[in-house]
Amino acid sequence: MDMSKYKAMYLTEAREHLQKMSALLVSIEADPHNRSGIDALFREAHSIKGMAASMGYQQTADLGHYLEDFLDHFRQQGQITSEAIDRLLAGVDLIESLLEDIDAERPERSVVGFCSGQPAVAATEQKEPEPNPVADESHLQVSLQLHESVASPAARLLVLIKQLATLGKLLNCEPSEEMILRGGEVRRLNAEIQTRLEAQEVKSCFENYSEVSRVNVSAPQAKPSGNTSVGATVRVGTELLDRFIGLTGELITNRYMLQSAAGEKDWKGLKEGLDRLARLVKNLHHQVLQVRMMPIDSVTGRLPRLVRDLARKTGKEIQFNLEGTGIELDRAILEELTDPLIHMIRNAIDHGIAKQGTITVRAWRQRDQVMLQVADDGMGMDPDALRRHAVEKGLISSAQAEVMRDYDALQLICLPGFSTASQITDTSGRGVGMDVVKAAVEKLGGVLHIDSVPENGTRFTLKLPLSVAIIKVLLVNVDHKLVALPITRVLQTLEIDRNQIQTSGKQRVFSHNEELLPLISLRKILGLPIPRASEQISVVISEILGRKIGLVVDGFSGQKEVFVQSLPHPVDLLRGLGGGTILGDGRIVFILDIQGMLEKRRRSGE
Amino acid sequence: MPPRVLIVDDALFMRNLLRDIFLGAGWEIAGEAADGQEALEKYRELQPDLVTMDIVMPQRSGIEALQDIMVEDSEAVIVMCSALGQESMVMEAIQNGAKDFIVKPFQQEQVVEVVGRVLA
Repeated sequence: MDMSKYKAMYLTEAREHLQKMSALLVSIEADPHNRSGIDALFREAHSIKGMAASMGYQQTADLGHYLEDFLDHFRQQGQITSEAIDRLLAGVDLIESLLEDIDAERPERSVVGFCSGQPAVAATEQKEPEPNPVADESHLQVSLQLHESVASPAARLLVLIKQLATLGKLLNCEPSEEMILRGGEVRRLNAEIQTRLEAQEVKSCFENYSEVSRVNVSAPQAKPSGNTSVGATVRVGTELLDRFIGLTGELITNRYMLQSAAGEKDWKGLKEGLDRLARLVKNLHHQVLQVRMMPIDSVTGRLPRLVRDLARKTGKEIQFNLEGTGIELDRAILEELTDPLIHMIRNAIDHGIAKQGTITVRAWRQRDQVMLQVADDGMGMDPDALRRHAVEKGLISSAQAEVMRDYDALQLICLPGFSTASQITDTSGRGVGMDVVKAAVEKLGGVLHIDSVPENGTRFTLKLPLSVAIIKVLLVNVDHKLVALPITRVLQTLEIDRNQIQTSGKQRVFSHNEELLPLISLRKILGLPIPRASEQISVVISEILGRKIGLVVDGFSGQKEVFVQSLPHPVDLLRGLGGGTILGDGRIVFILDIQGMLEKRRRSGE
Repeated sequence: MPPRVLIVDDALFMRNLLRDIFLGAGWEIAGEAADGQEALEKYRELQPDLVTMDIVMPQRSGIEALQDIMVEDSEAVIVMCSALGQESMVMEAIQNGAKDFIVKPFQQEQVVEVVGRVLA
């Protein structure tokens, strides 16, 4: 049976089990007598073992089996030691590495060392990526055929596999050792080895086996690229699938209804049919989004482990709370959230909490948006210190700093180049600053808010759309073309009088709510001709890198829900384009990423 | 120096047959053992270059003797002697470190080829 199509499913599910194991281990560590937790842990290990064994992933299955045995002892005692938890966590890490091996189509690494009781360090050593093959090693495809008359062909093939393994590294083998051991008539062997020997040398090794009737050694054919990548999989309830079938049925009926109404020029019937179609499509849209929705749990699940490890490393005492993990978000958004979340937590541990404290990650729904917050009760941030630092770094002028509100001063930490070398620690100094977090959130059409009270803690709040595939946009006109801006990026739209525009240096500005905002022309950004300004000017107020700006456009064309399509190569290389969409009348409209556009402009201006 | 072989088989007839084949090929017989227990003792005493090991023997079986020897000397070169129908046991032996195997009824060329190969 071809198991390859189950691989993606296996990987997804095994990772879910691993995450559960990590979370359970961290909670059991806090409460070592948690009998039901230990039982649950045992069941998780058991599931992984069973899945791996049925897929033929022997090392993973062996390790699952080992962990199961290991846990059984503590299950009987009803409690567990902290050394055992460390060992189990190391085991979880090792399974994770094995899954990576399988994902990358490498042979699984050996778990023998781990299971024979070598200290956990050995397991981490094994996690190191394999050294690159020495330059003079190459991959060879070896195929061997046994004579019909050979006695005990399976045992003979086994000897040949052992022989192959002495020539170099055996990468894969068909049939595998396990399959041969199961018995049956096999007389052919196809294997791939990594060796420093030449094809001819390998061939001659098998020519003195009279049992072998044919030897073929060649360089392996390159696998067609792209075919090997496994798409992400998602599990869908059958109930949801039934609803899809139901909706499809209704759509078909609707089509006949429309066709007959059109044939009879029955305008009333046509209108009814279209109304019905609109309802069906809306329903379908809603259901399709359901398929893409996943509980936030799938990314927050790994956080307790992260916090535990970081707390240990920094010697801080940290209580970690998770709230609202059942809230669902589009899987594409969730995937992009992993790194930002980890970074915010690292930040909280490094800079927020001094010695001991609490970090809370909570999620909740707010109308059609999802809020995700990382809060700590640590030292908080001092707006004045941030202002001073930004001025020192030359990111803002001292005049700007003076008029800046406290809230805006806090957002300064998201400016590229704000984070300093003195702040870089082992925990959060990974070259990722809050600017990257903010950019990631905004790329998803979300917004990041930071608020903080000195001595009272800091809160990072992410406001996220439910789905990335369908977003609400503001359509604006520029030089007789239509472009779209994600509504999440639009703070306000207004029309101003020409005489409201002032100049400050070279920059044109206008006063809005007692604030002077710079005016930037969309035509100028896009390199389009700039006509004389009319009396009334349309302005979109947006926020770029924590600063409000006024974007001048030719006019507004309303709001629309659009289905965002990613741009094909090479158009996707253009900065400032967030995607494209096709309007009902067939027009193609680009969705602009204002921040990306301005960054490009700033860079080319430098 | 010609290779020194330890022949392990509970049947005198088989031992003699193998002895003739090896001597004919110019090898030296280090010694003989008639069961698995004796095999280990003789191996320790004689340190041969090669062992031919029958599978079904009294006291300790060939596979057990193989394991015993491999524990003491992981470099030991052991060739199993099997009959048709013992394939799964041969595979077990190979998994446990046997280098190769020969199948009864023995043919001189086959034995010489296999033994020559594993000693190469």
